Amino acid sequence: MERTSRISAALIFIAPLAVLVALWAVVVPVFGVRPQIFPSVPAVGRAGLDSILDGSLLRHVAASVSRVAIGTVLAVLVAVPLGILMGVSRGVSAFLTPLMRFFSVLAGIAWIPIATLWFGYGFGAIVFVIFNAVFFVVAYNTLLGVSTIPMTLRHAAASLGAGRQAMLTDVLLPGALPNIVTGIRTGLGFAWRGLIAAEMIATDVGLGYMLFVARDFYQTEVIVLGMIVIGTLWLLIDRLILVPLERATIERWGLVSA
Amino acid sequence: MKSLSLKNLAKTYFDAYKGEHVTAIRDVSLEVPAGEFVSIVGPSGCGKSTILNMVAGFIPHSGGEILVGGTPVKGPGPDRGVVFQSFALFPWKTVLDNVGFGPKMRGVPKAERDAIAREYLALAGLSHAADRYPNELSGGMQQRVGVVRALANEPDVLLMDEPFASVDAQTRMTLQDELSRIWEERRPTVVFITHDVPEAVFLANRVVVLSKGKVLAEVEVPISRPRVWDRLVADDEFKDLSNQVLALVRSA
Amino acid sequence: MNALLPLWSFVVRTSVKWPILQTLAPFVPVVALWWAVAAWGPFPPAFFPSPADVVAKFVSLMEKGILPEYLGDSVARLAIGAAVGIGLGVPLGLWIGLNKSAHRALWPVLLFFQAIGDIAWLPILIIWFGFGLTTMTFVIVYTVLFPVILNTVLGVRSVRIELHRAAQSLGASPARIVGEVVVPGALPNIMTGLRNGLGYGWRALIAAEMIVGTSGIGFLMFDARRAGSVTEIVLGMIVLGILWYIVDAWILAPIEQATGRRWGLVTQ
Repeated sequence: MERTSRISAALIFIAPLAVLVALWAVVVPVFGVRPQIFPSVPAVGRAGLDSILDGSLLRHVAASVSRVAIGTVLAVLVAVPLGILMGVSRGVSAFLTPLMRFFSVLAGIAWIPIATLWFGYGFGAIVFVIFNAVFFVVAYNTLLGVSTIPMTLRHAAASLGAGRQAMLTDVLLPGALPNIVTGIRTGLGFAWRGLIAAEMIATDVGLGYMLFVARDFYQTEVIVLGMIVIGTLWLLIDRLILVPLERATIERWGLVSA
Repeated sequence: MKSLSLKNLAKTYFDAYKGEHVTAIRDVSLEVPAGEFVSIVGPSGCGKSTILNMVAGFIPHSGGEILVGGTPVKGPGPDRGVVFQSFALFPWKTVLDNVGFGPKMRGVPKAERDAIAREYLALAGLSHAADRYPNELSGGMQQRVGVVRALANEPDVLLMDEPFASVDAQTRMTLQDELSRIWEERRPTVVFITHDVPEAVFLANRVVVLSKGKVLAEVEVPISRPRVWDRLVADDEFKDLSNQVLALVRSA
Repeated sequence: MNALLPLWSFVVRTSVKWPILQTLAPFVPVVALWWAVAAWGPFPPAFFPSPADVVAKFVSLMEKGILPEYLGDSVARLAIGAAVGIGLGVPLGLWIGLNKSAHRALWPVLLFFQAIGDIAWLPILIIWFGFGLTTMTFVIVYTVLFPVILNTVLGVRSVRIELHRAAQSLGASPARIVGEVVVPGALPNIMTGLRNGLGYGWRALIAAEMIVGTSGIGFLMFDARRAGSVTEIVLGMIVLGILWYIVDAWILAPIEQATGRRWGLVTQ
């Protein structure tokens, strides 16, 4: 029952996209669109097949995804404890909020020039851009999350005998979790864009690079293929990991994220 | 169960914006013997919640003494259970885990603390709700959990801060009946803050009327137990006492 | 101890009177630390400029008129993006939110196109429009548009059915219902969408200016990167941060909160 409804929901979701592809398949030959302007469906299919067979697509995807994964995991591991520590005291969190806000506003793409200067073109610069896109947004949201936990909840825990450690693990961390998840979702959104931009500028492998190089040769079929891969990957990350995570915490607990 | 005694308790704080010291509690002395139920009533702003917050250890007092079983209070601790007006249940924990939180903090193993929690939930007729999240319960149910959570930690003194102020009138009477029954079964030491005079009289052995940071009067409530609204609603003694306290509060 | 109380009182009163001081105060130790590291740290100035270098650069770029011009270009592009994003996004969002079959048909398409992300469009846009203003405008409008549409749809669908019925029974025509009930009801979400959209939009703008630009703050920074001038890069970052902080904290967030809080609506 559950399974069939999920499958039908997926079908309903995919149907409009299928219609769009069909439309594209008809429009390109009928109007004689030149391949330098926009590719035909079979051309993109062939490009996809070729790049899968010669392993280049996998290499680009693996490079992009691993950069995002490393940067994000590192950032979350550092940002969450830091954000919670900063949020424990009202005074400290009020003082630091404008600072964190300023840096989270700056997060991501704006760091590309200086990152490439400090780390040179390549892996280090790109991971740095992703790290700080996620780091400041997550730290800021964690700080915000901790400071929105009602004081009475902390009082309740204290009067039930919670010590410092239990306060962190049983009250502050779960209390800030909805904000943390929202922060990760937003930060990853910035990081993903930052990744594509940084790969266009500063590397020789990855999805952004694949697109940008294809442009030099007017290979629109590779560009469109890359765009579809980027869109699909992000949709999968967002819908299969981030949205369910957000739902599980916010809706079940009845918390509204700030 | 232990006694609670407040000796010349005072609270002044510095209002940085106005640049002056403000006195919230002038001089309050109060003895609550072990196993007694005391209600504190008074108009809003009389300092009743401030007293409770100081006894709970959430805010420091600036003069006098707070003793629980003869030991001075330093900060919050499990010897004083607190029931909050806003319930203060952990939204991310099930009802069972909320009630088992106190025992968990004492290091009681999972199976054992679940058993304790279930026993206390049964006391308030909440067994069916054990696996729900607070958000999925009505206000009345949530506050039942709040009371049970404080009790399950077996505190020496139970502090209740207008616990039934944010539930509807019907539910409030049911909760008062239940609290009265539970108190008669377990006889904890209770300090109950409220601005609802009939509620104060219905529940307590003694009602303390507070005014402008000082104790205005103490009224003994000798009404026999068990007390239930079905009986007391038409009881003359109850009406007289309520009117007496009400007059004091009005004069405050 | 007591001698400090009047001082404390003075601090509190001034910060209530001038809330901006509270915003600026935390930056003082950061700038001081930055200065100290630049002065005594192991990094050469070409790698890690001091605040004084950046201020000097700021003054010289202001005098030459480069900074005001580039800043004007970036802000104008952002404003165009915001205007077109709202102009197109809100009506589209209203239509999709009110029309069930439009919603069913277009929602997945919207999600997919939002997922592709602005910056991934750059290569094909460069092929279509070349390096220049059209490409940048397209990217920023695209970036702002989707969050506005998606959030407008959410907002429209969050307006309670009783409000539609109440307006209907008070004699409102369908068009009036949209104007009097649906748009105000969706407004907090629309503002959230605009705020998110501009948040993504200005990042996209920076990226576009770096990659295809001939002017703008992003171009300034990337041009400085090519010349190896860290000072200009840092200056660009600070200008960007301040600019966006002002737009977000003093314009967008207050509007969003004003609608959401005033009416007691919870924004999505």
